Amino acid sequence: MKESNMARADFVTSIFLTPFGLFILIVSLNMPRFEEHNVNPYSVPGILPAFLGAIITFLGLVLFIRSIRQRGYKLGIGKRAVIGFFRDQSSRRIFLTLIISLLYGLVFLGRIPFYLATGLFVFAFVLIFEYQFKESFASQRKKVLIALIMSILVSGIVTAVFRYVFLVNLP
Amino acid sequence: MFEGLQMFSEALMGFLNPKNIFDVLWATQLGIIVGMLPGLTATMGVALMTTLTFKMATENAVIILVCMYIGAIYGGSRSAILLNIPGTPANAATAVDGYPLAKQGRAGEAIGISTTGSFLGSVIGMFMLAFFTPLIGNFALKFQSYEFFWLSIFGIVICGNLTAPKDPLKGWIAGFLGLFVSTIGMENMHAFKRFSFGWHALTGGISLLPAMVGAFGFAEIIMVMKFPKYEVVKTKIERVVPRVKDVLKYWKTIIRSGIVGTFIGAVPGVGEDIAAWVSYDLARRSSKHPEEYGKGSIEGLISAETGNNACVAGAMIPVLSLAIPGSAPAAVLLAAMFIHGVRPGPLIMIEFPSFIYQVVAMVLLATTAMLILGLSMVKSLVKVLTIPRQKLMPIVFVLCVVGSFALQARLFDVGVMITFGIIGYYMREMEYPVAPLVLGIILGSILDPNLRRALIISDGSLAPFFTRPISLVVFLITLLTILSKMKWFQRLISSVVQGVKVVFKR
Repeated sequence: MKESNMARADFVTSIFLTPFGLFILIVSLNMPRFEEHNVNPYSVPGILPAFLGAIITFLGLVLFIRSIRQRGYKLGIGKRAVIGFFRDQSSRRIFLTLIISLLYGLVFLGRIPFYLATGLFVFAFVLIFEYQFKESFASQRKKVLIALIMSILVSGIVTAVFRYVFLVNLP
Repeated sequence: MFEGLQMFSEALMGFLNPKNIFDVLWATQLGIIVGMLPGLTATMGVALMTTLTFKMATENAVIILVCMYIGAIYGGSRSAILLNIPGTPANAATAVDGYPLAKQGRAGEAIGISTTGSFLGSVIGMFMLAFFTPLIGNFALKFQSYEFFWLSIFGIVICGNLTAPKDPLKGWIAGFLGLFVSTIGMENMHAFKRFSFGWHALTGGISLLPAMVGAFGFAEIIMVMKFPKYEVVKTKIERVVPRVKDVLKYWKTIIRSGIVGTFIGAVPGVGEDIAAWVSYDLARRSSKHPEEYGKGSIEGLISAETGNNACVAGAMIPVLSLAIPGSAPAAVLLAAMFIHGVRPGPLIMIEFPSFIYQVVAMVLLATTAMLILGLSMVKSLVKVLTIPRQKLMPIVFVLCVVGSFALQARLFDVGVMITFGIIGYYMREMEYPVAPLVLGIILGSILDPNLRRALIISDGSLAPFFTRPISLVVFLITLLTILSKMKWFQRLISSVVQGVKVVFKR
């Protein structure tokens, strides 16, 4: 990342980090001190989190001041920059990876059988990154077939090996 | 000394049976493949293996993990040489000279040299592991809560400094956020649920393994999938086994890199990538041909590979003696030892003294297997690198999911893995090192009870933190580590040094 972009990124990070540190500090100070149980005041649960909250707030402030000095507050977020970001091929690939992985890990697992969720995930992942939507289906039958075979093999082998060889619980 | 040798030979003899040898061979080979493939790191390999082996006997499980660790750190050199993409971060320095050698048609020679360098580095590290672990372990018996408090803070600070040399502030932020993550969930003294906000699953806290699999595995998948493909260098791989005289020529570099790599390994959380870079840099500074570095220097390649593999054994020194990991994969190894009922730390010298020498024997076996496997099957294994990433990464993600779920059978841990994967990806993009975050999660469990215990013993007084001799020394080192990164302090030191020089010149 370029230095000017990094200053902007640091500015945004510090805007989240400093209040987060303060939040940790406030929550920690409000943690129970169990005075009614007559416990040692130095054993209360909020001591370390409060210490960490104070340090994170301080480090966030240092990051904030540094990014201000480097003119990181000039974010330059315009319509063009946003459209450019979403049109960028790398961004698209990242979003696709995230969407498929999140659907598999957070939605399908636990709701449908593991082997089925895994098979669907592998099939979708391979196909989405290999299939050219501008070309005809007929010319890409092999890609679809390979994705299908791979999904069946991966789902079958992983399920069998983990469940019966390593005796591991599966979602 | 002789007692140690006896325990080592007993451990070695105990491992020399067909089943263990078979385990050593397949685990090291799998480690090499994991290390070779960009997107699969040593940390992830060891983390996944931990979940797969947790039903095995302790020695069998730990030997598999050690083999995976050593194999993966070595295996990353293959992709560094042939793709110019380090298979693991530890092999970044390897690519600097390995890739130019491959482009010159000397890929076989580069692979042979990197294998030999890795082997020799591991051997040097192994000797230092056997020598220093009992020494540090015995010394650490004098540590009390005050010392452990400062040691944890020092771990975060030095790890932040070294993993983010350009901007240590980001390393420290990552480390302290890691410490915060460790405080989530039910604490030990009063069973109070911290930062769970009524969410039942959070009361159990954030487990280390899912967090690590996410930060090192899923984050890496996202990074790899960002770009379409990588190009393998088209070169003939001929002679792989190096000539003895070619290796002996660099004996000084090998010994220096081995020692440096081991010491860096022993520094909390710093890891193999830094060890390789520092070894590489020192080799270049003392080389007769520094101009060849970056253009295909054999000396540069051997220094990087010796350094990173020596670091593996070095990283195990604090794991065994202080229960503080020297690197990210060593952190998983530490967690695995706890899972198997071995309690590393100062008391290991009393509770499990023979375990240290068992680990040394494991390192020896894994290193030997790495040398044999590394110099054979080179051509066939290179084909693995041609697997397209869109076919490999979904399998890796499935393994990440199974690995996160397997230990506690909680879907919540899959969510933790995914969350830490996204956080890890963001951190990489923003140039925050991930290692201090992970180290923070581990050190938090040492820091919290020791801080409170120390305050209870001293009745709230902070004086013992600064007046006890060992505590004071660790505090001063921590302070110097922080100050060394401040420009005003650097200017002050250089002006003092100049002043002293002037006085002596008179």
